[in-house]
Amino acid sequence: MRRDSEFQSYRVVLIATDIHKTFDSGNSGKEVLDGVSLAVSPGDFVMITGTSGAGKSTLLHILCGLDQPTSGEVFFDGNPYSTLSAGESSRLRGECFGFVFQTPHLLMDRTVFENVTLPFCYGPKITKSEIGRRCMDILEYVGLGKDGGRYPATLSGGELQRVVFARALVREPRVIFADEPTGSLDRKNSLNMLDLLKKKSEQGCAVVMVTHDHSLKSYGTRFLSLDKR
Amino acid sequence: MLYILKVDVADAWKCLVRQPLRSFLSSLGIAIGVAAIVAMLSISEGAKRRVVMTIDSLGMSTLRIEPLGTSAADGANSGKLTGITQDDLELVSTWLGGRGSAAGYVKQEGVEIGLKTRIQVATVVGITPLWQLAEDIYREAGRNLVQADFDNQENNCLMGNELAVRLGTRPPVQIRYGGRAATVVGLLHQKGRLLTEGTGLSALDFDNSLFCPVATVPYTRVVGGRELLDGMVVTLNIVKEQQILSLAGQVNQLLITNHRGVRDINLVVPVKLLRDAKEKQRIFSVIMVTIAGLSLIVGGIGIMNMMLANIAEQTREIGLRMVLGASRARIVGFYLLGAMVLTLSGSFFGVLSGIVLSYLIQFFVGWDVAISLPGLVVAPGTAILVGLLFGSHPAFTAASLQPAEALRQV
Repeated sequence: MRRDSEFQSYRVVLIATDIHKTFDSGNSGKEVLDGVSLAVSPGDFVMITGTSGAGKSTLLHILCGLDQPTSGEVFFDGNPYSTLSAGESSRLRGECFGFVFQTPHLLMDRTVFENVTLPFCYGPKITKSEIGRRCMDILEYVGLGKDGGRYPATLSGGELQRVVFARALVREPRVIFADEPTGSLDRKNSLNMLDLLKKKSEQGCAVVMVTHDHSLKSYGTRFLSLDKR
Repeated sequence: MLYILKVDVADAWKCLVRQPLRSFLSSLGIAIGVAAIVAMLSISEGAKRRVVMTIDSLGMSTLRIEPLGTSAADGANSGKLTGITQDDLELVSTWLGGRGSAAGYVKQEGVEIGLKTRIQVATVVGITPLWQLAEDIYREAGRNLVQADFDNQENNCLMGNELAVRLGTRPPVQIRYGGRAATVVGLLHQKGRLLTEGTGLSALDFDNSLFCPVATVPYTRVVGGRELLDGMVVTLNIVKEQQILSLAGQVNQLLITNHRGVRDINLVVPVKLLRDAKEKQRIFSVIMVTIAGLSLIVGGIGIMNMMLANIAEQTREIGLRMVLGASRARIVGFYLLGAMVLTLSGSFFGVLSGIVLSYLIQFFVGWDVAISLPGLVVAPGTAILVGLLFGSHPAFTAASLQPAEALRQV
């Protein structure tokens, strides 16, 4: 079920067609997503908005392959997720996607530098010096060039989120998935984070971001609003 | 692959040192199990070597016969006790024919043996002609005793190596013992002593004895007109265990018949001792290794428990690693490596502790121990298997987590 023509014609990297998701809830299933379709091209900044429980995070997890739809299909570069083995799926996440979550999910006993290098544990082997160079570049990019040796416990909420952003970018992903990345930040840090994401999308990286904050809509280039069912 | 291994081992180590006490205690469980196995196998090996040394000193194809004390024979027949006589020796020698050689001896301990200027206390052994052949002990210097020495009843004798050193002499030399003069014509090779503990045989230190023709020593006893011997050595020209045991049985029966049914001799068959000892050893080893193995299993359960606790605490971290590209196989490998790091470090200290424990047992309890080299491999090997076995369940539990759900864990 490749969609080569579509991917080639519109330079689409990610496409979701007729996604349904139902969660078991007692005797009856609870349908969270009902026939969502979406195409994402390089440089897109897709904002998925909606109220709590509308299925925004569920859709994001399905788009990045962390969850499976009840029906429907997601394609990356024309390849349907359903045909990928577990190993191929892991490799896809490691090599092509970057993730930013509301909660930083940093390893507290590792330095900022070690946290940012973590994705390289699961990717193609590159030299230690190359890893070091790329990490320093990306930390510089997010404004933490001098903080590589610090531990997460010593960082502010905004700095923590920038470390997560650096970790998401360090392997130069083609799509960044961000799930409420500004949810735990104050206004100033939220805007800084969005500036970073915006900058990245302008450089050709696709960004798919979930938020319930409609005031951030100005950063997006495309919008998908989900209603609670 | 090596790169992945290197990265994951370093990563697993960092995870383990987050809870140093928990990791140490889990590793300690394995260390105790390994130490117990190493110590048990060392005790077993020590006992085995002791048995082999004993058998070696007694001779593998040898039968040793000594009279039982009167208390050892049954009361009804005690009046008929005859002990071992020259008649018995001749009977066995004739019966054996070409199948072996039999020799007899009498001995007296604590005899003063003197040169002109020096006196030493030693054992004097009166021997029959084939004794050197039966004991397989020959001269280092001088000459052996020959038939003429026995036939002519000349006071020629052979001296044990250490006795010669103590007396500061070498053959030929004139000595005095038991109020008579004798000539030492030969010095014997070192042979050590008979390791007779637990056999019922009397001890004999070859290197600290003087060996003379039996007719020339003043220690023979005559009862009812028959010369008594203190013992008999039979060396068989066969090596097969079954044949030796069969011949031993026949010799025993021959002597009992000659003694009119009185069981007044102690016939020791070293090869049978070896067989019995091996069987006891096997049972001892099985019991000890089972007990030690159980402690290793308890250690394994400790590791599993600790890993399950770690995984419960690291659920979000596992989810994160999966999101960042870790496959389920990598997660399984990661936690198995963690288990390996614990078991290997536990094994390392367990082996060291086991060796120390073995020597402490030797020092305080007095048992013979010998570090069993296979044990040094088997114990850590078993520990690693236990680690893999008990680490598998937590590892697969971790790998079966759904990344999205794992990340949502509080």
